[in-house]
This record gives sequence, C-alpha cells and structure tokens, in this order.
Amino acid sequence: MTKQELQKALEPIAQGLFGKQGIRRYERPHFPLRSLETMLKDLTEIPQEEWFAYVFSREPLNGKFQDDQRRRWMEQSIACGREYGRRICQEYSLSTPSELAKAMGMKVTYPTYPEKTDRVLFAEFREPDDIRIYMDGVKKAKKFLERPEISSILGKLEVSELLLAHELFHYVEEKYKKEIYTRREKIRLWSLGPLHNDSTIIALSEIAAMAFARELVKLPYAPYVMDVFLVYGYSPEEASGLYEEMMEFAGRTPCAPEERKDVE
Amino acid sequence: MEYVVGIILLLSFFGLAYYCIKGHNLMIGFLVITILWTVLPLLGTVFASASFIEANPILQYEGSKGLIKILNSIYQSAPEGWGTTLVNVCWGAWFGRVLMDTGIASTLIRKTVELGGDKPMVTIALLNIVTALIFTAMTGAGPVIAIGVIVLPILMSLGVPKAIAMFSFMGSVAAGIYLNPVNFAQYRAFFIQPDEMPDFTLGWYAAHWGYAALLIMLIATTVLAAIYLKKSKTSHAWAAQSRSGASEQRNAPIYTLILPIVPVVLKIWLDFSVIGGFVIAGFLALFLCGRMKGTFKENCQLVNKLYYDGVVDTAPLVGFLLTLPMFNSVASYASPYFKVILGGVMPKNELVVCIVFAVLLCMGLFRGPMTLVGCGAATLGVLSNVASFSVPFLYAVFAIPTITVNIGSCITQSWVAWGLAYTKVESKDFLKLSIPNAYLTGVLQYVAAFILLGGLGAAWFI
Ligand SMILES: [Zn+2]
Repeated sequence: MTKQELQKALEPIAQGLFGKQGIRRYERPHFPLRSLETMLKDLTEIPQEEWFAYVFSREPLNGKFQDDQRRRWMEQSIACGREYGRRICQEYSLSTPSELAKAMGMKVTYPTYPEKTDRVLFAEFREPDDIRIYMDGVKKAKKFLERPEISSILGKLEVSELLLAHELFHYVEEKYKKEIYTRREKIRLWSLGPLHNDSTIIALSEIAAMAFARELVKLPYAPYVMDVFLVYGYSPEEASGLYEEMMEFAGRTPCAPEERKDVE
Repeated sequence: MEYVVGIILLLSFFGLAYYCIKGHNLMIGFLVITILWTVLPLLGTVFASASFIEANPILQYEGSKGLIKILNSIYQSAPEGWGTTLVNVCWGAWFGRVLMDTGIASTLIRKTVELGGDKPMVTIALLNIVTALIFTAMTGAGPVIAIGVIVLPILMSLGVPKAIAMFSFMGSVAAGIYLNPVNFAQYRAFFIQPDEMPDFTLGWYAAHWGYAALLIMLIATTVLAAIYLKKSKTSHAWAAQSRSGASEQRNAPIYTLILPIVPVVLKIWLDFSVIGGFVIAGFLALFLCGRMKGTFKENCQLVNKLYYDGVVDTAPLVGFLLTLPMFNSVASYASPYFKVILGGVMPKNELVVCIVFAVLLCMGLFRGPMTLVGCGAATLGVLSNVASFSVPFLYAVFAIPTITVNIGSCITQSWVAWGLAYTKVESKDFLKLSIPNAYLTGVLQYVAAFILLGGLGAAWFI
C-alpha cells in the first residue's frame, strides 16, 4: 500500500471525526424536466394582462382580493407603467435603460454573485439611487441566447438592460410618489372607530415596473418570461416547476414533460 | 497527583472548546471527551492523595464491581434517562409537521400580514409576535424553514433589507423557544434527572422567568429591527421564487389558528402532559382543517408520513443528544479534580455569575464554551460541581447563551445557516445585526434572572 492509498483509506475516518458539522438542506419538491424552447414558446404567447394571477400570487395581501379586482388593477398598473416609460424617454430624449440610468444619476453596479437556492435574485434597487444587476444569471442567459432556436423565440434581447429598466421604474416611482397611480391606489385593511390602516399594494408597483421595462426595451412579450429563462440556468427542474405554475395561473395547460435525454 | 489530572482535564476542556468552535462533529467530540474524562479521573484515584479521595466520596469505589457500576451509570443509565426527553422531541416534531401540513401556520402568517399591510415596521412587529407564538410549540429546522419561506419573502417584498428581515425573523424564533416545552424538557435534563425536582415545571419556570425572557428577546429584537430599519434604505428586488408546496396555499379555518399554542397553554396552566397536548391539538388540527377526509387507510398514511418527516427533522440533533448525557454524568467524576484547580477562581456568588456570563456572552457563539448545544455542556459540568447554585438559576444562566446567542444569533445554528443561503445575506452582515441583539437581550435577561431567580430556598438545590 502506498502512502496515497493509505491516506485515501483513512480519509473517511478523519472526515467522520473532524469533518464539518453537516447542515441538512431541506428537500425541495421535484418537477419533471421540460425543454427550455417549449417553455419559452408557451410563455411568450401569454398576453401581459393574463399574468395577473401569477403576479398576485406573490403579493402579501393577496388573500383579501377577488379576481375581477386583480384584473382591473393589472390593467391600470400596466397602463401606468407604459405611460411613465414614454414620459421618461421623452423627458430625457434617450431610450436605452443604461443611458437613462446615467442621465438620472443612478449608481449601477454589476456584481457576479453565485446563486444556488430556490430564490434566485436578478436585480435590486436600493433607495435612493443604487441599482445592482446580478450578472451570474445574466451570463448564463447569454449562453442560451447564442442558440438559434432560443433567440428566434426571444428575439433581440439584452437581459441586463431589461433588468435595469425594471429597477429604474422603482426610482421613478419614488420620485413621483405623490401622483403616481401605483402609490395612490390603496386598500383599507381594517378600521376601528377613528383608527384605520390603509395600505398600498406592492404587486401594483411590480406590474408597472414590468410594463415600464417592456416599453423601454420594446419587448414583444411580457417580461415575466425572464423568471423561467433566468432560473433555467441554475436549475432546469425549478424552472420547469415555475413554468407549470405560470401556465396554471394563466389558465393554460402546461406542455407534457420531456424524456430526460435531450435536456441539458 | 490530583493537580496533574486536573490540569490535563482542563487542557482537554479547552481542546473540546476549540474542536466545537472549529465546527467539527459534536457527537463524536463529546463521545471522545467522555471516554477521556472517564479514564483520567478513575485512573487518577490510584495515584491521588488519600485526603483527596477521602474528601470526595464520589471517587470511592470498591473493586471491579464498584468500577463497573460507575461505568454502567455513565454509559447505560445516563442515555436511557434521556429517553423521556427524546420522546417529547419526536412528538413536538410531529406537531410541527401537522401545523405546516394543515396550513395553520401559513394562514396565521398571512392573516397577520393582512393587518400590517405595506408599513414595514407594523408588519415586522406583528410578525415577530406571531412567529414567537408559533415557536413556543414548534422547533427544529424543518418548521423554521417552512415558516421562513413564507415570512422572509413577504418582508423583502415590503422593501425590508434582507439582512434585517433575516435578523428579525431568527430573533423571534429564538424568543418563542424560551417557552417551548420540548426545549425546556431538553435543557432541563442537562441539570437534573427528569424525575428529580418535580416542582421545577414549565409552568413554574414560565411564571418566574420564562415569560420575562421571551418578552425581553421579542421586544429587544423588534426595537433593534426598527432602529436598523430607520438607518437603512428600502430596497426592491426582482427575484424568482418557485413554489415550495401545496400546504403553503392551504387556508385553515380562522378558529383553528388558536391551536398552535394549545399544548403550551395546557402545560403551563394545568401542567397537562406535553405529549397529550400535542396529540389533542394535532388531531384537532387535522380534523378541523379537513385533512382527515380520506379513507381510514389514507388518514393513517398521512399521520404516519407527518411523523416520519418530523422525526427526520430532528435526526441531526438526536445523535448529539444521546451522547451528551454520558458526558453530563461523567462530569461529576471529573469535578473533584476541577475543584482542586479552579475551586479558588470559580464564581460562587449569583451576582458574580450573572456579570461574568453577561460579559462572556459572545462565547456562546460558534458552539463555544457557553452554549449547552456546544461546549457549554462541559462548562456546566464544571461549574455546577465546583460551586452550588439553585437549579432554576443555573438553568437561566445557561439558557441565555444557548437560546439568545446560539439559537437566535449564531450562524452555526442549522436554520440560520439555511436562512443565509436562502436570502443571500453575508454571514458578517447578519452577525453585525445579531451580536448587538445578543448582548442587549442577554444582559437584560441576566438582570431578570438575578432579580427573579436569585436567592431561591433550599428546595431548589440538589
Ligand atoms: Zn421590482
């Protein structure tokens, strides 16, 4: 037995004694795999208005709303986002998000931060003027866009510009918070005599931010598609689960799962 | 000669502390130290001075029969005695699973958020209260993760920076654990046998110190969160979250939302059996939430699955918990040697203990020598044997670094580690928020312990 072999044989024992305390990861539900191409094709066909159920499923106050209300809010918030998109472009006479960000004096950074859990972070806006675009996912997306079958579905797409445009809206919203629809629309959570609590609805800001981003980068489909597209780079399985959920929320049937072999 | 043994034992204690802090396997660490602490003190009796043996009856044993009796008490009776505690842990884990599966826990969180709305501070305060209440009944990484995946995204979508959301949630979980009957039984077993001192119940403990400890931690965490939030900047994130399970969406009927606290209330109020409380509240939850509508066979399978999942949640802890009682009992054989070395410097006065422990709170971090679920078990072995304190007081003294510091503020706690990965908060950013809280909360809790549990009568000593 050589020294190396001995070391290898003793390693499990040493690991058992001095190995790190293992932290048990909890197990996520499993989803059948689907090809990225089919998923993107299905999702890009969903009109923006029909995304309301998916969007509101992430809203903390969702339990208090009815579907017709959600639908109305969706339409109005989309209109709001579009309007501000046009307004800002005119105001600055610029049209790309990165130029706009510069003109608005935003501090934009592009950190590369590996992601690995069930919450994949794409971009962030911190008041007053700090925007971070997380490049790890964006780079993975770029790789997929080199494939003709993907780029024929998604068209000409700069993912980081789209993310930046979304975050810019949060800045714009803050700037016009006195008059903008997404901040003026409120619901009464409870009232007790003279006491009451009125709250804005966070989902409205997010809907408007998506519509704003779509307006700025002239995207032919709803930006929610990015959720699946960007997550796919980390976990095709999670992306498939997300796709299933989106299709069900839009009242459509998810496509049949693929055989394992041709999925990367 | 007893001095030499004492010094070797002391060195091994520091060795263990180092081993724990480095994050190595606790179960093996304690097993090795138990063997060492068995061999050294018993071998030491052969060489020690006659006066030393005479002064310590615990070290007097007759021949091989006496020796075997000692060994049996360490390696057999001690872990067996812990069995009662373990059963509580398993049933508690089952109950936690029931609350998650029925959607009671998630409904409770959602209803709470619907009261607070977009005002982050109001929502944080309300969520902290509800989280603490829930974790008086649930414990273990499984339930914390299940509630965390609901609470954390909500806080983040309200614009609360992720580190503050993490800090506030983890602090409230730990606050709830102060009244958790399962944790109480578990830590109580470090100090006395389960059947010893029957008056030291959860009810007595809660009334004399537990409520205060919970409130201090809850209020300190919330106030600090408010201060941090004031100083920080709101953030909006675009993130994709995949769904984590059907139970999250399930709506439990309003009147079932009271069930999480039923076992604890029964235990504190009537000293009703903890497991009985879990069984009653658990099955009530399953029936009232319509989870028992299937055939008899399906229902059995569901109950069984929940039990299985619950036990798996607690598995990493169980191995450690089963070696620990051996160590606890071996510590009493090592203590005469420690007394020789440390007798002069160990604090014997309650006020001094409170001050020393409050200053050394940070040593509860990283499984250091203050936390019971780490090297602190050894410190307790030494302290309780060289000086005499009442059991409730000593319980509080060690519960603070264990719960406030280790469970609530340290990144070595399994669910805190999960939270860091989930929210992508850097360890140092979390510790920057949690360590001030550990000190603020800990110091106030020591003050409360000294006032409320200091100077107890002879009935509380062993
Ligand atoms: Zn946004």
